[in-house]
Amino acid sequence: MENKDFIKHNCDHYEGSRLNHLNNRKYGDIEVDVCIVGAGAAGSLLAYELGKAGMKVVVIEAGPFWNPQTDFASDELSMKNLAWNDTRLVSGKDPISMGHNNSGRGVGGGTVHFTGVFFRFHESDFKVRTLDGVAEDWPINYNDLKPYYDKVENQIKVSGPREFPWGPFRGPYPYPEREPISANAEVFREGCEALGIKSTVAPLAILSAPFDGRPPCINRGFCNQGCLPNAKFSALIHYVPKAIKHGVEILSDCMVTRVLTNPTGGSVTGVEFVHDGRNYRQMAKVVILSNFVVETPRLLLNSATSSHSQGLANSSGLVGKYIMPHSGHDMYAKFQNEIRLYKGTPVLAVSQDFYETDRTRGFVRGYTFNAHGSRPVEMAMGLANAGIWGKQLRQVMMDFNFYARITLVGEVLPIVNNSVTLSEEKDEYGLPRALVTFSYSDNDNKLIAHGVAKANEILKAAGGEPAFVVPDTAHLMGGCRMGNDPQTSVVNSFCQSHDIPNLYICSASVFVTSGGANPTETVMAIASRTADHLINRMNKGRLGKSDEVKGRTMEKVTR
Amino acid sequence: MSWDESVITHYPNYNILNLADEWDSYTKEIVLKRLGPFSAPEYFSEWETSTLKAIVKNIVFDNRDNIIDWIVFHLDSKMTSEIGENQRKIGIPPEDVLVREGISVIDRIARSKFAKSFTDLEEDEQFKIISSLQLGQLPPIREWSRIPQKDLFSKFLLEIVAAYYSHPEVWSEIGYGGPAYPRGYVRTEYGLTDPWEARGDGK
Repeated sequence: MENKDFIKHNCDHYEGSRLNHLNNRKYGDIEVDVCIVGAGAAGSLLAYELGKAGMKVVVIEAGPFWNPQTDFASDELSMKNLAWNDTRLVSGKDPISMGHNNSGRGVGGGTVHFTGVFFRFHESDFKVRTLDGVAEDWPINYNDLKPYYDKVENQIKVSGPREFPWGPFRGPYPYPEREPISANAEVFREGCEALGIKSTVAPLAILSAPFDGRPPCINRGFCNQGCLPNAKFSALIHYVPKAIKHGVEILSDCMVTRVLTNPTGGSVTGVEFVHDGRNYRQMAKVVILSNFVVETPRLLLNSATSSHSQGLANSSGLVGKYIMPHSGHDMYAKFQNEIRLYKGTPVLAVSQDFYETDRTRGFVRGYTFNAHGSRPVEMAMGLANAGIWGKQLRQVMMDFNFYARITLVGEVLPIVNNSVTLSEEKDEYGLPRALVTFSYSDNDNKLIAHGVAKANEILKAAGGEPAFVVPDTAHLMGGCRMGNDPQTSVVNSFCQSHDIPNLYICSASVFVTSGGANPTETVMAIASRTADHLINRMNKGRLGKSDEVKGRTMEKVTR
Repeated sequence: MSWDESVITHYPNYNILNLADEWDSYTKEIVLKRLGPFSAPEYFSEWETSTLKAIVKNIVFDNRDNIIDWIVFHLDSKMTSEIGENQRKIGIPPEDVLVREGISVIDRIARSKFAKSFTDLEEDEQFKIISSLQLGQLPPIREWSRIPQKDLFSKFLLEIVAAYYSHPEVWSEIGYGGPAYPRGYVRTEYGLTDPWEARGDGK
C-alpha cells in the first residue's frame, strides 16, 4: 500500500519532537530511571504513571507508531498488519494460532486491535489451588488489585451496566452502558432469558459518551481493525500521548534484542536494540519487560550470559513455562431473519453465569460467554479452519447475514509443558525464533464441551438452529508467572524478578492462572500496581536497588 | 461451469461499490485496488499461476476470473512479502516453499493419476484431488514427508478464503454492509437497517 502517513516513519517521539532518525535522542546518552520494552497495554500505562511521577522513562517498541487517521482502514485483510506477524513456530496437540488472536505490533500493542471487552477477574481466580486443588494460587488476591481496577476503569471511562451480576464488583461503571445493542447481542440476551441465564450489556473500554476530546462509538464494527473515530480506548491514543507530555521518550520501529547485565550478573544495565539494521544501547537503572507472553521469554532466553546460562531471571527454570490461551470456540447458529453480525461493536452482551467452579459439571473453573459479532473474513476463515470450503462454504456464506454467534472465553489450566522455548530457526536479527507448544488438558476439553453445548442451547432458545462450532483460542497469558517462592515462580507480586532486583516483567506474562474472562483489564491493573510500587521505591531512594521486598511477598509459602 | 447456479444471493440488487464514496479515502483506495488491473505475478511462474488459478477455483467454488485474478495477486504478494506468517508448525517449510512445492506436487499427482496436467483435468477430477488433499488421502509419494498434505491444504485454504471474502463483489452478494467510516451504523437493533444497507428480495 502507498504510505501517506507523515508520522509512521518517525521513530523517536518526545515532547516537542517527532523524528525519523535516532540522532537527536532525548535520553540517548544517559542512564534513564526506567527503560520499558513494549508499548502495549502494560508498557504504555507504566510509562504514563512513571513519567507523571517524574522518572526519566524510555519506551522501546518493535513496531510502528500508528496514526489511526491515515493507517487504519475499515478492512479486515489489510488490517491484519496490526498483529505481531513475525513467524513463530508452533507445536503440541493443539497448536495455537498466533498474531491477531493474541498479540499486537506497534505503539499501543494489542489494545489497538482488541475488542475492548473489559472484565475484572473474580476473587476465586487468585486462589485456584486453595479452592479447586489445581494450578497455583497467585501471590496477590482480588483486594490487592481492586484499587487499581477502580483506577484504570476511571482513567479510561469504561462503559457498562449500572448493576453487574457476577463477581466482587457489581457496578456501576464510570460511563453508562451502551445503547442500543446489536441484533446479535439482543438474540443472545433473549436466549439467556428464556433459559434463566443471567446476561448483561458488556463492560467495554469503548466510550458511550464523549471523553477527553474523543467521541462515543459510532457502531462501525471494526474494533479489531483499529478504531478510526478513537471511541475505543487504546494505549496508543490514551496513555502514550499523555506519557509523552510527562516527558517520556518513545522509540518505535526499534527491536530490543538483548537485555544487558553488569559483569557479575547481579543487575541489568539496559538493553540493546536494532533500528534500521544498526545496533544501539539504552542504559537504565530499571528495565521492565512488557513485551508479552512470547517475546519476553524469548528475550530473556536469548540474553543468557555466563552467570545466567539458562537465560536471565530463570534460576527456577520456569521462564516460558505455564503459558495459557483462553479456549475461544465460536458457536454459530442460523436464524430465520437477518442478524447482520457485522453491525456495531462486536461484543455488546455477555454472561458469566458459568464462571465459577461447579463440581456437578465434572470439571473445575469456568468461562465467559461473549455475544460476538463478525465480519466476513473472520467468519469464513473460521469456517475454513473447521474444514468447510468449496461449495458448502460458498452456500453458508450466502447466508452470512442470518447467522448469530457466541464466543467462549474459557479458562485454561496452567501446565508446565505448555511453553515458549527457543527453536533452531533464526529470524532476521539472527535470533532463534520462539517455539510455542500447546496442548489442552482433560479439564480444558471438558470445559469446552460444556461451553459449546450451553451456547448452542442459548442460540436454540433464541430461535436459532445451531450450525457450526469453530475451535479457536484467544489471548495468551503466563510464561513468567508471579509467586512468593523463587523456585516456583519468575517474579514476585510486584513483577520484580526474583533473580535480578532491577529487572521487572509486567504484562500478561506474569499471570498464574488464566481466569475465564478477557484479560486486558487485569493486565492494566497489575501494571498500575507495579507503577505504584516503583514510585514508592523511588521515593525511598531504593529504585532498582537490591534489598528485601517488604510485606507479604516475602512471607513463607505455606500450604 | 454451473458453479454459480447452486449459490444464490439474497441481495441481487445490492452493489457495495455504489457506497464507496462514503468511505474514508484510505479504505476506498485499498478496496478499489482489488478490482484490478493487476501486475503480472512476480513470484509464481506462468505455469504455476495457471495451476494455482485452478486450485483457487475449487477452493472458493467460483470461476469469475476477475475475482480469481485478485486472489492470485494477493497470494503472489504474500509470497514475496517480508511480513511473517504468524505461526508455522514445526517441521513445515516456510510458506513460499510450501506453496510452490505444493503446486508442483499437485500437478504431479494429476499426471500420475489421470495422465493430464492439473489444469487439463475435468472439474470433478480436480475436485477429487483437492478434497483428497484435505483428508491427507492422496497417493503416498515421497514429497508428502516434506509437504504434509493437510498443512498444504490448510495454507491454500486460509489465504485464499481471506482474499475471496475481501473482494467487494463477494461482499455485495452476501449483503455485507462493509466499511462505514465516517458515518457508522445507526440502526443496529434486530430487524432494523440503515437506508443504504443491502435489502433482501421482496422486502
